[in-house]
Amino acid sequence: MTKFYPPDIRAVDDITFSVDMGEIFGLLGPNGAGKTTTLKIITTLGTPTSGSINVFDIDVLKASQKARQMFGYVPQTVSADGDLTGYENLLIFAKLFYVSKDERAERISDALEYMGLSDRKNDLVKQYSGGMVRRLEIAQALVNRPRILFLDEPSIGLDPSSRRQVWGYLKRLNKEFGITVFITTHDMVEADELCNRIAIMNAGKITITDTPANLKKSVGGDVVTVKFTPNRTHVPIPKELGLVMGAEEGLVRISTENGEKAIPQIMQYFESKGVGVESISLNRPTLDDVFMKYTKSSLQENGKLGETRSIRRSFARLGK
Amino acid sequence: MSSIKDIYNFAYSAMTIVEMEVRKIRHDSTELWTRAIQPALWLLIFGQVFNSVRELAPTGFTYIQFITPGVLAQSVLFIAIFYGITLVWERDVGLLTKLLSTPSPRSSIVVGKALAAGVRGAFQAIMIFALAVIIGVNLRHGLLDVAGVFLVIILLAMCFSSLSMCLASFLRTRDRMMGIGQMLTMPLFFGSNAIYPVSLMPPWLQFISKINPLSYVVDALRAMLLTGNYTNLPTDIGVLLISTLVMVSLASMTVKRLLE
Repeated sequence: MTKFYPPDIRAVDDITFSVDMGEIFGLLGPNGAGKTTTLKIITTLGTPTSGSINVFDIDVLKASQKARQMFGYVPQTVSADGDLTGYENLLIFAKLFYVSKDERAERISDALEYMGLSDRKNDLVKQYSGGMVRRLEIAQALVNRPRILFLDEPSIGLDPSSRRQVWGYLKRLNKEFGITVFITTHDMVEADELCNRIAIMNAGKITITDTPANLKKSVGGDVVTVKFTPNRTHVPIPKELGLVMGAEEGLVRISTENGEKAIPQIMQYFESKGVGVESISLNRPTLDDVFMKYTKSSLQENGKLGETRSIRRSFARLGK
Repeated sequence: MSSIKDIYNFAYSAMTIVEMEVRKIRHDSTELWTRAIQPALWLLIFGQVFNSVRELAPTGFTYIQFITPGVLAQSVLFIAIFYGITLVWERDVGLLTKLLSTPSPRSSIVVGKALAAGVRGAFQAIMIFALAVIIGVNLRHGLLDVAGVFLVIILLAMCFSSLSMCLASFLRTRDRMMGIGQMLTMPLFFGSNAIYPVSLMPPWLQFISKINPLSYVVDALRAMLLTGNYTNLPTDIGVLLISTLVMVSLASMTVKRLLE
């Protein structure tokens, strides 16, 4: 679906990726990786130096107005107008998206209801909490009934409970209406929670694209740590239980594909051998590990200085 | 067929932007009232003092009468010339990004913003008319004249707010916009016929006033509010229309720079 070769600064450096219809896709990367630039280019708010972008068979660069008609976009910064009420914010955007008059009222009240804002619709937005503003912004994008929704760091600056709430709404939108959702984020928990697939971006390049589960697998499986009661007898650990990664005084680490299923088996095995087990713990690789792995490897490839420089430059661009 | 629809959509988007601004003003109109203070001071203090200098006003009119159209034009100019600051602010908070992510043409957003400046200008005109009545400044008030005044005021606000938005696209920060705004208002204001007749100016300043759209605005306003002599009116309005068109087009072309 997408491809470009921008620009002088190489904020986005020759990337190609595609998003499947109906999925939640995450563009993940550290600050300054070029995520926002990429998103702006896709949503026609920026122009690429070269490349092409196709969304639902429409050439975004050529028919930008037509493309925007299908898009919903929620920028990183607070973009609802604080001096208007929630209802008015939706009304103005419904009009700018050319929603016909007969449908307007219904769509607005649907969007408000859906995002749980109906009771506050006549309050000025500057009196809203951060979570409510975010929800209003998503509602604003919804009056257009977009086929694809773009969100730039959707949960930035939100407290954990508002964050969960926003994720819940996004998942529901995706499930109930089949809206394709495209987010950028540097929050691993968010990417893990929301996304069907993730592309990791670093220094303007995409290092890897895969499902969160596969990515986690690629940094190693689950690790079960078994701590024995003192004075145990040594027993061999069969291969079916997993790979022994290390044994220290009184404990053993076993690497396995699915830790949750392995735990009962391990318990049973040691019990049958008459070995007392004091405790068992499970460590699963997180996307943090994945993130560190893929952003670090590219750091080494490119040489550290050039890297920092390009990040700084793209920062300067943002600040301008 | 589709071009008619395009034009309709364009106008519709522009009017929606105006509606947005009007709704904001309705929620909080403090801005409008505070803006009326400065022209009031010009009329009440400056006007009163200089009223005694006979040579300043054309025969048959008092100086206060003479500068009322000038002060009106100046106060609308002040609103318009700083309009780009709002745009930069909207860019900073992400509002502009969001507006430009809609399928509405970008130029329609610019025209809408310019018209919204015009609405503020029209309100300013109402305030000054009211003030003129209160302090007893005699102005013509035929229906056509008043309608003409509003038209000229709206064009004036559109022209200079577009200039300001165009500058904002290049300067990109609010601080720089404050600086350039102040730098521009003085020569525009004093290099026009707003508070003294062109005939009193040295030749180089007369030349500046000739290429200054504000002079044509003040001239048109004076024709309609004071003299009733319409000979120059077509030229005045023609110059203003062309300047406005040029400025709006320039701003439409450059506004995207603000996002990059």
